[in-house]
Amino acid sequence: MAISSTVSADGAQVTIYIQGRFDFSSHQEFRNAYEKLNKTPSRFRVDLQGTSYLDSSALGMLLLLRDHAGGERADIEIVNCSQDVKKILLISNFEQLFSIQ
Amino acid sequence: MSVTQHLSYDVLNSLQEIMEDDFGFLIETFIQDSQDRLEKLHRLIGSDDFDSVRRAAHSFKGSCSNLGALRLVSLCAVLERKALVKDIANLGIDLAEIEEEFLIVHQKMLDFIA
Amino acid sequence: MNDSRSLKILVADDTDADRLILETIVRKEGHQVFSAKNGLEAVAIFQQEHPDIVLLDALMPEMDGFDAARQIKHLAGDEIVPIIFLTSLQDTESLVRCLDAGGDDFLSKPYNRVILKAKIKSFNRMRGLHNTMITQRDQLAQHHQRLLQEQTVAKQVFDNVAHSGCLNASNVRYFLSSLAVFNGDVVVAAIRPNGNMMVLLGDFTGHGLPAAIGAMPLASTFYGMVHKGFSMSDVLREINKKLKAILPIGLFCCATMIDFNFRRKRLKVWNGGLPAGMIYRQADGSITPMRSTHLPLGVLPEKNFKDDAQFYDVEEGDRIFMWSDGIHEARNLDGDMFGEERLLEVFAKGSEPVNVFDDILASVKNFIGSGEQDDDLSMIEIRMDAPENLVHPNHYFIHRQQLSPVEWEMRFEVKPTSFKSFDPLPFLLNVLTEEPDLRGFSGSLYTILAELYSNALEHGVLNLSGNLKKSPEGFAEYYTQREKLLSKITDGFVHIYVAYSSNIEGGSLTLRVEDSGSGFDYNARQGKILSTTGYSGRGIGIVEKLCKTVRYYGSGNKVEAVFAWINDD
Repeated sequence: MAISSTVSADGAQVTIYIQGRFDFSSHQEFRNAYEKLNKTPSRFRVDLQGTSYLDSSALGMLLLLRDHAGGERADIEIVNCSQDVKKILLISNFEQLFSIQ
Repeated sequence: MSVTQHLSYDVLNSLQEIMEDDFGFLIETFIQDSQDRLEKLHRLIGSDDFDSVRRAAHSFKGSCSNLGALRLVSLCAVLERKALVKDIANLGIDLAEIEEEFLIVHQKMLDFIA
Repeated sequence: MNDSRSLKILVADDTDADRLILETIVRKEGHQVFSAKNGLEAVAIFQQEHPDIVLLDALMPEMDGFDAARQIKHLAGDEIVPIIFLTSLQDTESLVRCLDAGGDDFLSKPYNRVILKAKIKSFNRMRGLHNTMITQRDQLAQHHQRLLQEQTVAKQVFDNVAHSGCLNASNVRYFLSSLAVFNGDVVVAAIRPNGNMMVLLGDFTGHGLPAAIGAMPLASTFYGMVHKGFSMSDVLREINKKLKAILPIGLFCCATMIDFNFRRKRLKVWNGGLPAGMIYRQADGSITPMRSTHLPLGVLPEKNFKDDAQFYDVEEGDRIFMWSDGIHEARNLDGDMFGEERLLEVFAKGSEPVNVFDDILASVKNFIGSGEQDDDLSMIEIRMDAPENLVHPNHYFIHRQQLSPVEWEMRFEVKPTSFKSFDPLPFLLNVLTEEPDLRGFSGSLYTILAELYSNALEHGVLNLSGNLKKSPEGFAEYYTQREKLLSKITDGFVHIYVAYSSNIEGGSLTLRVEDSGSGFDYNARQGKILSTTGYSGRGIGIVEKLCKTVRYYGSGNKVEAVFAWINDD
């Protein structure tokens, strides 16, 4: 899987793109994308357009992100989900924790 | 109306400019050609082939006009008109007048070249 | 630029002096001169030298200027050769005669150099324009010819691709516009492995080759996927995705797709943008419309695409009609459109069901009258029939195979030497998706396999505890340890057993994974709901939701998950 990210001009939003399988193999890179920033963003987007598949370790990684972003108060959107990916998120009731599109 | 001017020197001068060294040859050619045409007209005048007379007169008129022989042009035109309406009266006299005029023009041309 | 070009000019005058003057003038203007004393010579020289401009004395012996002009014009053919008559004729009749003979202009005696120069220049310019026009005309003709050839080829390719499949089945009748390649109508039909027939009627916006170009990927996607057993939603979704990618904004494909289940006597219908198709019921002659409920193909991006369909139950003998908008939009001489009402009238007439198809065509034809072309429409009729009555001359699927069940088993072992470097999951998934029935479930199957395998490998063989994952640092530590342990492992195993069983109604896939670890107390986790807290532990919860049953046995080092499905299309 390949992780890339972009930060908005004012540093308030970071968008993380996952390409390929979203699993534990790049958990360090995923963490770096939201931890190693000059300014802590207030909004987070995870773009799964290129994500073919997501496993339970990925769900764990998303939760790690959520805790880092403030837990209950976190503003995280998970966008551009394919059918299969969305199914896993919904089975796991993740729509209660994240805004899923 | 009759035209009295035998030769237009304007025309001759223009021709000389155009022809340059061949001017003399042009004059010779004209003279020779004209003599042939006059001979032909002579032969035709006796017959009743008015159409040929008309055409011959017309042709000669044309070449005279190119060389500036104004009176000849006018005389040929008369002959041409008469032949067109088949007026046989005095055709012989008209031709004689043309031949006479031609001699004058011939001389004037030679003078001009000299 | 061409004004000063040196031209070839023919001078014909029977008076030597006149001719000499003209020759000299023309030569002095920089052109090449050819001389003739009479009409005959003029024509001969013209044939030989092909001059650009001809100066002709009207009255000449042998052949006069008029005849010479006529002959020269004839010889010139398509090309423009200006003819200037040299004459002191001034009467109208003679001048008209010159023009009639093909003369383009006059030059009177005495010859005026300036005037002649101007006329030559003017005619040369005209020749230039004319030649340009002839060249362009020839180019146009060539392009047009090429275009026609390309269109013929396009039509052949289009016909091969877009109007094929099982359209010659015994219960199918169709009528396709002969202008189809130009009006963008596509009909494709194929038999699915389970015996259903899938038919798609499409109408591309736009006309001509752009419409035809959209038809290729549509048809090849359709045939490729239907033969492999993909469902209607998958096929629609894929076609929509492809068309959205290749068609420019504003171009799309209105389409109706129907999956005919002859066993269940049921239709699954998706209509995006076409006029309502009709189900004509044999029992009472009633009509059920199948209306458009979706946007056409190629409009919506993948994530917004809606593939939900309507189901209709039908009887044997019922006839299902699909058409493009050619029927509704057929116009008569007054400009009125045929419309749906007139179509319904044809059905209401109550003729024999078998004749309705022809009645519709006749009705449209009569309506159009002597107006435009009466065959610019596309329509297809499919009769619901018992499966054993259907004859498909050239489909690849043998009828008998559908009815017998399919079963196979597979055992697979991953050994220690492979744990670190070999991921068995893509391989296993590949094998599974060779089964057409399983193709639509590849996402879920991958999830199930992945969770079972990673549990077996990590908790079983490597003996890693999920408790490590209770904090962010622990999460990272877990995977670091995983790497380390994998590189050192020398014994252990993971066994995977797969059993597949299917029949016409559906099937089940049994997956058993056994690892060499010591297991765990599986009774203790009975009844746990999928928690939304905790960074781990939900893998099995997900598998339980996707599968029919999941149970552990042995010491907890064996798990069996059964995944089942029903073929409800």
